[in-house]
Amino acid sequence: MIPSMAATTPTALIADDEPLLREQLVGHLARLWPELQVVAQARNGREAVERFDELRPQVVFLDVHMPGMNGVEAARCIGRRAEVVFVTAFDQYAVEAFRQGAIDYVVKPIEEERLLDSVQRLQARLRVADDAQRPEFGALLERMAQELRQRGGARSYLQWIKASVGNAVRMIRIEQVLYLRSDAKYTVVAWEGGEALIRTTLRELADALDPECFVQVHRSAIVNLMHVDRFSHGPGDSGEVHLKGRNERLAVSRSYVHLFRQM
Amino acid sequence: MMTTTTPSASTPAPGHWERSRLVPSRRQLAFTVALSVAGAVALNPITLNPFVEVLGEALFVGMVLLFGFKVAGAWRQTVLPRWVAQVLAVTLGAALSPFIVQMLSVGGDFSAFAASRPMVRGYVLVTLSAGLIGSLFALGALYRERDAQARAEALQFALERETLQRQAADARLRLMTAQIEPHFLLNTLANVQQLVESGSPNAAPVFRSLIAYLRAAMPQLHQQTATLGDEERLVRAYLELMLMRMPDRLTFSIDIEPALRALPFPQMGLLTLVENAIRHGIDPGCDGGRIEVGARRDAGREIRLWVADTGVGLSEGAGTGTGLRNLQDRLQAFFGPDSGVTLLEQAPHGVRAEIRVVAPTAA
Repeated sequence: MIPSMAATTPTALIADDEPLLREQLVGHLARLWPELQVVAQARNGREAVERFDELRPQVVFLDVHMPGMNGVEAARCIGRRAEVVFVTAFDQYAVEAFRQGAIDYVVKPIEEERLLDSVQRLQARLRVADDAQRPEFGALLERMAQELRQRGGARSYLQWIKASVGNAVRMIRIEQVLYLRSDAKYTVVAWEGGEALIRTTLRELADALDPECFVQVHRSAIVNLMHVDRFSHGPGDSGEVHLKGRNERLAVSRSYVHLFRQM
Repeated sequence: MMTTTTPSASTPAPGHWERSRLVPSRRQLAFTVALSVAGAVALNPITLNPFVEVLGEALFVGMVLLFGFKVAGAWRQTVLPRWVAQVLAVTLGAALSPFIVQMLSVGGDFSAFAASRPMVRGYVLVTLSAGLIGSLFALGALYRERDAQARAEALQFALERETLQRQAADARLRLMTAQIEPHFLLNTLANVQQLVESGSPNAAPVFRSLIAYLRAAMPQLHQQTATLGDEERLVRAYLELMLMRMPDRLTFSIDIEPALRALPFPQMGLLTLVENAIRHGIDPGCDGGRIEVGARRDAGREIRLWVADTGVGLSEGAGTGTGLRNLQDRLQAFFGPDSGVTLLEQAPHGVRAEIRVVAPTAA
């Protein structure tokens, strides 16, 4: 790859999952930077990386929010091999991170004056045309990728319990669960709408549930504190929890009684 | 002083008489008899007549007074307040009925009555006691009536207050769901801008969809009473916008039984599920998927609504709980405790959300 050609006709790749927005950016760039040749368009991060590897454009415009691999992850794959400009709709976190890291970005809906600033910076940097001189954003991008992943919905604690009911798999919201009780090979999920059996063991569930709400009260039972009405002392050092609006009581073994001690 | 119009909300057919007020209640009848008997017993020692006669006279007077009271109460007139008319009627009855009794006993000869001192004395005695007791009775009855009316009003008031509280609760819950995400709005506007700048014929319908969506999603512009038909328009507007944004990844269909469009429905209830389907099912997947929205009346008053997608499905850590909890609360406030929302996993992938409600009336 001899960069003599590249010096005369700059090339670019545009990645956005929304076709109208790709079209729009192509239009803006055609007006602001007529020499720039958009050699490829991609609909997600993975496509962007594939097209980049194939065509090696000098400039890459990456939408932050894309399905599958997002823009930040794609940028990490591309690394210092191209000039990267992020495109994002309102996203306080991303914008703040780009600003702090001095990473180039434009905000959607795109204003041409703002895009022109970016174009001029890119043109100046392309004159140098040396990959090694590009700043390294690896650490920041890694942090961002992590943050965006988490925001994608993956909470740290279990939000749903999937249980077979007949032929269907029912999704039970975790706050509807009253308690979980181990029963031979299965775990019984008692929830507002009835009972269901799941194969996940109580121990595995204990690790995945939010400890603020779900506490183990017995070797074979975990209760949702949101559904506990009161605690009463039983024989010896043991006790029982009574559930709100229900008749059943759950035994609390000695080692867990301290959870219900008065404040 | 001109008129005291009597509210006649309870009587469907206007006329000179309020029938419901004419017939004495069993309690009023029993009370009148008891008072008459007590009056006869009290008068017995100071009259020369046998007790049976006195008792007969007292009962007659009592019945006349009750009749007067009821007739004056049922008569639709605007000259006097009803209670004045009723007390007047009782007083008049107290003056007339003993006179009739005395006249009967002397065979209609007024001069014979006027000449007999004991008869006149007896008349005055009966009239005074009947007038006094009758007026007291009338006032007591009126007081009871007003009390009952006040209780009925209080009950009505409590009912209205409960309805208001329910509406307020729904408004509060709705406010919590009704938040236009800046990310959604700006991305959508960027798309619309491109349509306008490129002179696309799609610009106008997309604008219409955007306005319909914003109208529903802005808390200030919320309708008090939305129907399933409104919700259908809202969901269609939202899906049209999403289709503009991801034409290569989204297909959808809406199939709501036309007869159900008039059903009152919590605003943005169905939209919440459709937004979830986009956010958690379609948007995260490179291949997108299909969303099917529908509503059917099952047996009787039960109605089933669904939003099914073929997207990537919900991961066990996906946090949509508060939106759904909110929807569940609103459905129950709206349709009663038997209503709710259920989520099922679809094969091979995707989520089916089902709402079941019991319609307030079998329309």
